[in-house]
Amino acid sequence: MYLTKEEEGIYEGEEGWANQIAMRILVKLGDLFEADRLIPIDSAHISGVSYKTIGDAAIEFLEALANAGAKSKVRSTANPAGIDYNHLEEMVRTPKLHERQARIIELYRNMGINPILTCTPYYVRRPREGVHLAWAESSTVIYANSILHSWTNREGGPSALAAALIGKTPNYGVHKPENRRADVLVKVETPLREEVEFGALGIHIGRVLKDEIPSFEGLLRPEETHLKHLGAAMASTGMASLFYPCVSCPKSSDRLETISVDMDDLKNAFESLSTTDASPDMIYLGCPHCSVEEVRRIARKVKGRKIRDGVKLWVCTSRYVRRKAEEYVEIIEAAGGKVISDTCAVVTWLKELGVDVLMTNSAKTAYYAPTMNRVETVFASLDQCIEAACQE
Amino acid sequence: MPIELKGRPITSGFSRGKALVSKNPLSFLGGVDPKTGRIIEKNHDLNGKTLANTILCFPHGHGSTVGSYVLYSLVRRGVGPKAIVNETADPVVVAGAVIAGIPMVGKVDISQIRTGDIVEVDGYKGIVRILKGEEESCI
Repeated sequence: MYLTKEEEGIYEGEEGWANQIAMRILVKLGDLFEADRLIPIDSAHISGVSYKTIGDAAIEFLEALANAGAKSKVRSTANPAGIDYNHLEEMVRTPKLHERQARIIELYRNMGINPILTCTPYYVRRPREGVHLAWAESSTVIYANSILHSWTNREGGPSALAAALIGKTPNYGVHKPENRRADVLVKVETPLREEVEFGALGIHIGRVLKDEIPSFEGLLRPEETHLKHLGAAMASTGMASLFYPCVSCPKSSDRLETISVDMDDLKNAFESLSTTDASPDMIYLGCPHCSVEEVRRIARKVKGRKIRDGVKLWVCTSRYVRRKAEEYVEIIEAAGGKVISDTCAVVTWLKELGVDVLMTNSAKTAYYAPTMNRVETVFASLDQCIEAACQE
Repeated sequence: MPIELKGRPITSGFSRGKALVSKNPLSFLGGVDPKTGRIIEKNHDLNGKTLANTILCFPHGHGSTVGSYVLYSLVRRGVGPKAIVNETADPVVVAGAVIAGIPMVGKVDISQIRTGDIVEVDGYKGIVRILKGEEESCI
């Protein structure tokens, strides 16, 4: 990979250990994927924030970087943490976990990373079309490429952090136009209306595809939130980082290998996401973190109702969306639900909160929660979730 | 004559030690106890073995990118591998080897290496040399 004189200097340590190690990560990954050079990025989004998922090993590395004066060179955001410090009554009570989580957030903040802790940073600031990004978090990556038309590879925690510190990323993968062409056509032969159906489609397609880029036919005027659920699910079961929601989209073409998806495929995918039919302890909405519109939709459905005794309703979103949706937040909380930010059900200590059965409208959560949280799952539509959450 | 396996240099450095060889991909997050370096991944052919001071040879990494940090932590605690030899280098292990500061070579036919062999890893040139077979090294 070609490096400028300045980049070479950073690689040799002229700008300190933190920048050197960041440059080395980028160069080694660039070499691995045969990148020709580094390209400037508009922003970075960093995963690896919840203490529950990263543990002490990552803290040791972040401490070393912070001690060496690491600073982000571009606008950077970070994924959800394990604790919402504004809703401590809803959180795990172990002081050590609170302290370690607070330290991680502080370390990132000290490196100049915006501690708005969300997997939907695009609701806070939407990057322009055509800019290059270094985003981690698979649902965020696929949303950026497919809906925002900003370009990012599927980064991991370390590579996104390295890109933030250098302000650049190696030029390979979907940063190159020739690698962004659709190579398989997915014909959806049954109309989809709700996010759960889009989620089930994503789970199915993620399993079927290897690293092909799908273009969908038959999605009838899908909302961005529906596509968010489709992408998040597809990136959970597969390697996808880009899809085209309609065949008429640019870069998509009609001479492609075709896969048909019928009602049975969707039904099988849908059913595979529930591990029980027991009644839930928690109803969880907001994976990926809700948009204002999604919070509004939930508020409309729970308005004037009461959450059942012994059941929790969690609606997760970013602080930013929570503030913008304040009037809807009040309605949900008046009913007895909680609008949680900075974390989510999957990256917090769910089991320790007494949750054994989790009901959700998120295919991604239903896919991960049995292994990541050791809970049973019920995958159900938004209406079914609301009915399970509310008194008759 | 030592057997010389040509691969691709990934991270620089030079190391010599006993090989620990696996046929299975490895996830550092969840697969390795970060305090002891013991492999805890279920049904893994190295389950129960410790990585400490080995030349760790496995096909490739899998799983979460947090695995890079686990590799860093293992090496810092003195319970990590001295070097890594992979068939296919993947981003999680590459980033881990960079921040841990250990040599790594990719594109190596690891089926040639046996656990217990004394091997030398040249991360500059991307070469792995098998100096002594397992039986010889036991004598």
